[in-house]
Amino acid sequence: MNGNIRTLLRLEIKNRFSNYSLSDYKSYFKLFGTLVLTGAIIYALYWVAGLFFEMFEAGGLLYEALVLLVSLIFLFMLFTGVSSTIKVLYYKGDNEILMRYPVSGAEVFISKTLFLFLTQFVVTAIVMAPFLVAYAEVSGLGLAFYVKIPVPILFLVFITFFLSNILAIPIMHLTNRIRNKFALIIIGLAILVTAAFAVYMVLFNSMVTFMNDKEFSVFSDEMVNIIETTAKWLIPMKYFADIMVGHELYIAYPALLGILGITLAGTILVIYFLYAKTLLNNVEVEGSAFKHVTKNRCRPIFLTLMHKEFLQVFRSVNYSFQYFVLACAMPVMVFFCNNITRELGQNQVGEQISLGMSMLVMLIFATVITSFSATSTSREGDNFYHTKVAPVSIRTQLLAKFVMYLLVSVAANAVCLAVLLGTEQLEIKEGLWLFVVVQLCSVAQTLASMRMDIARPYFNLSGEGEVVNNNASTTMSVAMGFAVALSIGIVCMFLSYLGSMTTPISFLIGTFELVLDMNFMYLVVSVLTGIFFVTAVLTYTIGLKKAYNKIAK
Amino acid sequence: MLEISHLYKKYLNSERFSVEDLSLSLQPGEIFGFLGQNGAGKSTTIKCLTGIYPFNSGKITICGYDIAKDPINAKLNMGYVPDNHSVYEKLTGREYVNYTADLYKVSKRDRNERFDKYVSQFKLTKAVDTQIKSYSHGMKQKICIIAALIHNPKLWVLDEPMMGLDHQSMAEILKRMDDHCAEGNTVFFSSHNLDLVAKICDRAAIIKDGKLQDVIDLHIKGNKETLERRFVEITATEQDKINERTLLRRG
Repeated sequence: MNGNIRTLLRLEIKNRFSNYSLSDYKSYFKLFGTLVLTGAIIYALYWVAGLFFEMFEAGGLLYEALVLLVSLIFLFMLFTGVSSTIKVLYYKGDNEILMRYPVSGAEVFISKTLFLFLTQFVVTAIVMAPFLVAYAEVSGLGLAFYVKIPVPILFLVFITFFLSNILAIPIMHLTNRIRNKFALIIIGLAILVTAAFAVYMVLFNSMVTFMNDKEFSVFSDEMVNIIETTAKWLIPMKYFADIMVGHELYIAYPALLGILGITLAGTILVIYFLYAKTLLNNVEVEGSAFKHVTKNRCRPIFLTLMHKEFLQVFRSVNYSFQYFVLACAMPVMVFFCNNITRELGQNQVGEQISLGMSMLVMLIFATVITSFSATSTSREGDNFYHTKVAPVSIRTQLLAKFVMYLLVSVAANAVCLAVLLGTEQLEIKEGLWLFVVVQLCSVAQTLASMRMDIARPYFNLSGEGEVVNNNASTTMSVAMGFAVALSIGIVCMFLSYLGSMTTPISFLIGTFELVLDMNFMYLVVSVLTGIFFVTAVLTYTIGLKKAYNKIAK
Repeated sequence: MLEISHLYKKYLNSERFSVEDLSLSLQPGEIFGFLGQNGAGKSTTIKCLTGIYPFNSGKITICGYDIAKDPINAKLNMGYVPDNHSVYEKLTGREYVNYTADLYKVSKRDRNERFDKYVSQFKLTKAVDTQIKSYSHGMKQKICIIAALIHNPKLWVLDEPMMGLDHQSMAEILKRMDDHCAEGNTVFFSSHNLDLVAKICDRAAIIKDGKLQDVIDLHIKGNKETLERRFVEITATEQDKINERTLLRRG
């Protein structure tokens, strides 16, 4: 390998994995933690994959399951491949730096392509391994299966890699074209994320039903027909599966070899004719801005603060995704989780704990959404001085941010409530109580997160003026939210279960008889929520001005 | 207009004062230059008087309002242009100026009139409805200035306003400073550019190691030369002084 290419490749790898330089005990601990977490995820994937294949095998659809799975992996690899190609080859800030060095464009390209290929190879291996091991076990093919899989895996890596290179430029042009159409992007992302959650929950629901009774297939005859027909037409993805199980090899091999040749030729043509041109063009396009012709408009101070805050979030795809898009997905998750819990057993625990389950899911989503407020001050970045020189009190400025977060959380919780009431999963009284509890927790969480950020702001922003990494406050906020969600959710489930007993348990405390019925559950959960709320409000309010004035950006 | 008396400011975890016993008094209608080398304490003083930094002791009043006790009224009388031209880059120029105008409660009539005047004066008409992130360094500085002037502040504070600007942009800003003072307002700006301060200021102060060294009235004949001499004397390092003495000895 040419010396420059080797140096550039090493630079790229070092840059990508700079977080894992083994210099002190902390870095070893971090690496160990990452490895343990990766191992746990792989094992979890293996376990779920085993269940997935068993479920399809019970319906006589094992081969179709493999085709569906390979198709999903193919699409995933293509998506990550295109995204990495755009990032590494075209968008990355280092292109501008590297272009100044005495290295040729071809050397930069080859080093980056090698990096991309290695990444694609490793990711494919890690993603596919647990699924293939699970398939070999469920199908009973064992060793014979492992012998057959390296070739289709190689085909998969190369074909998705070449296709990514071909698709990267048109997709990048499309992205550039729509990058400032914020409403369109947010709506599109909201639909995608909501649909993904819905599909995930339907699949999860089937798996839970299957786990309850493994003797019966969860698929109806009509569903079996649809799956069989779909698997037949999933071309070229079905060919990878065909080679793995030795099915119609005379079609699968020539087809994949042909696709490999065509995509390779396509990649060479794209690189030869378009790479340098696109690179130069894109370096200029990266800072593109949009034009929005308006008139001068007067707004009351509070509204103008909220308006500015909204535009700052709305005009950033990253922030919008973290904030608005997840709020859209929340009702879908709440509906499905509640449905599954109720279906777990009509006369069993499921029905009795469904209120607690709804609460848990709503609180978890509320945590994820409100954790965004843990960067409310940090997101000001270099503009932090504005908040200090503006002739508006700090409390008013923070209140405007808080009200914007509140509006989104009220809207998300209200839609959840409407869904739960509309589908008759909850009664009105229960629903309203649930709404109030979740809303109070959201408010408390928002205030606590904002205060944490004021105590330790993190002004490290990227070129687009966005927080690059989540700060410590975000991590703390999520941890706190999950702890509260689990505590309140589990208490609600447990006490609901006790309260639904035919003869509720009771204790005699002196002359007072304590009955563990549903009223007791409402009381305990309300008190816990109240304590969290009051603590958060006091923590936020006490010493707020002093803490804010101490920030010296 | 601006009264600073016995200002002391020490940063957290710092052993020495960044600003020490600094007192200044600015009159209406004057351009006041604040000279000093990098790290002399110019920006710290400005950040204290604009309310960005709290200070240890002393008093700062703007148009009679104490910045520590009555910050809202003090800030309503002041416009500030920072040294790093930081603005909300996701907003368009117009949105940003309107945001500032709302905070300073500028009426629609005044807003329209001043906006059109400044946008045309600073030649930003074509860019004003485009997102600020596409602006050049100079354009960002100009939109900061328009936002700072939209409420016609009695005290206009600028921190190193000419840094990195071309001659044309500098001339436009200097003209605006002159016009602002002619209307009876005060301009207070920091710089390490001696020539610029000598050319446009009515008075200038020199600061070193956080301490005020001298305040010179530039209307008095010969004081422009005095300013230059004093600035060199004050800011010269010990080595510079040794070199100068050696040269003098050698004739």
